[in-house]
Amino acid sequence: MNGRSRLRSVAPVLTTALLLAAVPAILGGSSYGLRIASLTVIVATYAIAFNLLFGHTRQLFLCVGALAGLGAYAFVLLSRVGGLVPVLALLIVAGGGAIFGAFLSYVSIRRGFGVLFVGVVTLAVSLMFHNLVLGLRQYTNGETGLVTRGIGFGLGEHPKEAYFVLVGVLVMALAGYQALLRSRHGLAFQALGDDEISAELSGIDVTKYKVGTAAMASGLIGLIGALYAEVNGFISPSVFVLGHVDIPVFVALLLGGMRTLLGPVVGAVLLSAVDEVVRPFGQLTVLTYGTLMVALFLLFREGVVPAAQRVLVRLGALRLRVPRRS
Amino acid sequence: MIGIVLDGVVQGLQLALLSVGIVFVYGLGGVLNLAHGQMAVAGGLAVAILLQARWTPLLASAAGVVAAGSVALLLDRTLLRPAYTRRGEERLLLGLILTLGVSFALDGVYALWAPNIALTLRMPTLSIEVLGVRVRTASLAVGALSLVTFVVLLAFLKGTRVGQAIRCVIQNEVGAVLCGVDVERVRTLTVFLSGLLAGMAALAQGYFSFLGPEMGSEFTILAVIVAVVGGVRSLTGTFLASLLLGLVNAGLSYAVGTYLTWIALLAVAVLTLLVRPEGLLAYWP
Repeated sequence: MNGRSRLRSVAPVLTTALLLAAVPAILGGSSYGLRIASLTVIVATYAIAFNLLFGHTRQLFLCVGALAGLGAYAFVLLSRVGGLVPVLALLIVAGGGAIFGAFLSYVSIRRGFGVLFVGVVTLAVSLMFHNLVLGLRQYTNGETGLVTRGIGFGLGEHPKEAYFVLVGVLVMALAGYQALLRSRHGLAFQALGDDEISAELSGIDVTKYKVGTAAMASGLIGLIGALYAEVNGFISPSVFVLGHVDIPVFVALLLGGMRTLLGPVVGAVLLSAVDEVVRPFGQLTVLTYGTLMVALFLLFREGVVPAAQRVLVRLGALRLRVPRRS
Repeated sequence: MIGIVLDGVVQGLQLALLSVGIVFVYGLGGVLNLAHGQMAVAGGLAVAILLQARWTPLLASAAGVVAAGSVALLLDRTLLRPAYTRRGEERLLLGLILTLGVSFALDGVYALWAPNIALTLRMPTLSIEVLGVRVRTASLAVGALSLVTFVVLLAFLKGTRVGQAIRCVIQNEVGAVLCGVDVERVRTLTVFLSGLLAGMAALAQGYFSFLGPEMGSEFTILAVIVAVVGGVRSLTGTFLASLLLGLVNAGLSYAVGTYLTWIALLAVAVLTLLVRPEGLLAYWP
């Protein structure tokens, strides 16, 4: 790879990183704006993980919120009750998430679950987590939730630094995702997403790839969940329910474009713009998410990024090197 | 003790009313309708609104059941059509995602337009003694209603030609087409029927205790658990699974509280999928 093509290959991630890094300066001192920006970055990172799971390996994990919540509660309890240093707690949380995700994936593959049963089982896991948190009141404080001030890295008190940490994680996830697609595994990934049986027949170890993907994605989700606990300053079971995490993440990914590099980020930004419009009307958010989910999945399953890419290529103005479905 | 068992049986019967619809639509249309509970709630809210408008309870109830059926019919005729044109895994996925989206959209609509409407048909009913425990006649009425509905349904499926067509499509869609069954009409009819049954379940809930606009997803989950445990091929399986889970629910709620009960019910569903994906009680005669 010569210097020029290397530059072109890192350009999308680099541009994204620079744009996101400039956001605090653009916002000035608005702490509300910064909070929204942080939440957007969090949704984008969840969407990258969900893209790996559902977009590439067709594993419909309807437990993104539960995995994040598990990470968040584990992180808070490890730090506060266990007295662990934050880095260690974070490592344990990410590792634990990865193991749990891999376990779910492995069991599903061994039992030959289709996309529907994986959805039902992970949905059940989500609800079990919710009820578990409510039930273990002495540790989790039930529906009231836990205030997370003063634990971990203390990101809650420094919103600007917290934002940069989140952007850092997002950029690393993006870079990792791109590197993965460009490596030998990228080809296997494409094959897997197109047709699992053909992939298996051409000698790709489907189980290994699916379980590995689930481990990576779940670890990332757990990690972000833990960081969310710090940044948000407060966690409760209801901030991790399906309607607050899984559905927005799904919508963001659909909006931006599944199986694209920048789709999750673009989708998350667009969704938070929509969110700002409907937020004043309270319950309209749920209605909007549901409607968007149906409309996008039926009419615009491609997403904004591939569509924009097509238009740009046609105009001959710009050639974004985004890996896309062949 | 007898009180708990009676309570469990009544809950189980109500659960059967709720679940048979989801089982039907899945077995026949290949769509796991995750908006099933929201349809029930549509019926319940309609009854509550009509009662406020001073309709007589009987008329309002009938209208509510029809309202739930109409929501189901609308869903079948519009959003589910693209799903029906596909086969196998694609249909399952499309059906799952679409109905999940619809369930959230409907929840949003209810929360927006009817946040404070709740259905309670709590009339001053007598309590009578059964086997030495006091039971509200309302509970018995709910049980009787479910039982009668189930018997009628069974007779419909076994006795009429339309019922035979429905069972035929459940067993083999392509085969049914080859035999001259109009699959699309049978499917629409079944979805409508499942909506009506969901409406009746909502009525039962309102009669038994109370039904709020936010209870849709809870209904859906319960129905999905029953469908998983009972299997999707037999009505008897659904009925037995409902009774079993009703009893477990009543017993555990009493012994260990709501949260652990939910976890246990969900665990039963997950374990069933792991051990016997076709349903624990699927091959009951």
